Amino acid sequence: MTDTATQPVADTAATRTDDTAYDVPADATAHTCSYCGRPFARESWLALHRGLAHPNELDDEEIEAFRAAHDEEEESLSTFRLQALGALVLIYFGFLMVYALV
Amino acid sequence: MTSGRRRTVALVVCGLGWLAATGTASAHGGSLAGGGRESLTIPTWLFLSTGGAAVGASFLLASFVTDRAFIERIHGWGRPLSGGFEGILRLAGQVVGLAGLAAVLVVGFLGPTNARTNLAILLVWVGWWAGLAMTTYLVGNSWATLNPFKTLAGILPTLNRRYPARVGSWPAVGGLLVLVWVEVVSPLADQPRLLASVVAGYGVATLVGAFIFGPDDWFAHADPVERVFRYYGRFAPFGRDEDGLRLRLPGMDLSTPRLVDGPDEVAFVVALLWVTTYDGLVTTPAWRDLTTPIVESGVPPHLLYPVALAIGFAFFLGVYRLAVRFARDISDTYLAPAVLAQRFAPPLVAIAVGYHFAHYLGYFLVLAPSLAIALTSPFANPAVVPTVDLPAWFGALALASVIIGHLVAIWVAHAAAYDLFPARLQAIRSQYPFIAVMVFYTMTSLWVVSQPEVALPHL
Repeated sequence: MTDTATQPVADTAATRTDDTAYDVPADATAHTCSYCGRPFARESWLALHRGLAHPNELDDEEIEAFRAAHDEEEESLSTFRLQALGALVLIYFGFLMVYALV
Repeated sequence: MTSGRRRTVALVVCGLGWLAATGTASAHGGSLAGGGRESLTIPTWLFLSTGGAAVGASFLLASFVTDRAFIERIHGWGRPLSGGFEGILRLAGQVVGLAGLAAVLVVGFLGPTNARTNLAILLVWVGWWAGLAMTTYLVGNSWATLNPFKTLAGILPTLNRRYPARVGSWPAVGGLLVLVWVEVVSPLADQPRLLASVVAGYGVATLVGAFIFGPDDWFAHADPVERVFRYYGRFAPFGRDEDGLRLRLPGMDLSTPRLVDGPDEVAFVVALLWVTTYDGLVTTPAWRDLTTPIVESGVPPHLLYPVALAIGFAFFLGVYRLAVRFARDISDTYLAPAVLAQRFAPPLVAIAVGYHFAHYLGYFLVLAPSLAIALTSPFANPAVVPTVDLPAWFGALALASVIIGHLVAIWVAHAAAYDLFPARLQAIRSQYPFIAVMVFYTMTSLWVVSQPEVALPHL
């Protein structure tokens, strides 16, 4: 399931690149998708990718990994939403006050 | 899921409220462009930062929409349009295109020399570059059919040499920059004879290229005008795919993978964005003040304009590539930088569209009656031609369209990022550098639009 890529997969000679051109640093750990060969920096991203790109080909273990990664993602997303909301409120009231003063 | 959708709807409502708020703010800047500084109720810095903040806030709002299926539904929405009238329509379009070209050449060389009454000038600038370009992104790309040079090239014989793949779209990039340079520095909008000569010259160059490499390859890769209209047309609600004509939501087709394919096409999109800015930038008082010492120190103005055009293009391309590199680092992805550069270039077309609309809608409406008069009597030279006086609130429309172009771009990039990355937070993070660049670019654009227009200095 986990693979350490030693060579960049990207075909740098080609002038046309599509979504399958990758550039993995030589010393980096890559979790490579066994269905399409796309490398990921994190295992949870690989699990998410398998669920999104190859939903009909997964075994039980991979489905379980996708569910776990998805739940984890939901959690970090709600944290992000709170931060984004905070930033919006800040921008809104910041401008409200500036407009009141100017 | 339902609570997610309800949240989405609530956020969209909030977003509209935000837009309405920025609309009021923009109105003040608009009256500045209309003349009369006293009507400006807020300082320029506040006006500019409001625009920048609107773009930043829109990104935050877009980031709340995390339902993949919802995003895909919006971008996938559409229905095929079919009809047997296409053949007739195509023939009619080709005839109209050829008639237009003939009118520009004949009236340009033989008609009245007054720019305000000459049909060639009005047809090229008001009818074609303002009017037709606007219908291209508001309705659909008709230039692909109307293009008289393509019709002529289709009739003429061809050597059908292999178009060198290595060259790609770079001739189109260079061609676009050269065309804009000629448009800016020469009195193309004032002298009908000159305009007709340039159109004829461009026509000869195009036909020679199509003669050597075949019209299909030439217009697909090397012709800059065809490419501009093709990208503008991707914004439009009516488009063409494998199944024929198709209706879709405006701008949403820009997220299609492989729309921009290769570094040359990325450069073309960036060039398109840069030339629309350059066009406005060189008529601002700030440009005049900045370049006056340079010209006074002995630099020939004829050198100044192309060099500034090239430097600006290099700067825009450099900033875009830098943003791509940052985006790649932040999102911690192993996708090649070229992949990111290609997927996030098409949203820039939406920004170029917003800027074009801001620039040319008023121009078109003011001069449309003159064009209509010239069309009915091409060789007459009336002393007075009708024009439309635009209402004072019109400037606000221009500013709103700049902002809306950015909003569409943010949304399209958001969708492209979701398509590209498996983790949603990763997709959102990948947009940070692009949003930073966009905020800066919005503020620059708003500043250019809000400046009074001065005559091109030094020439």
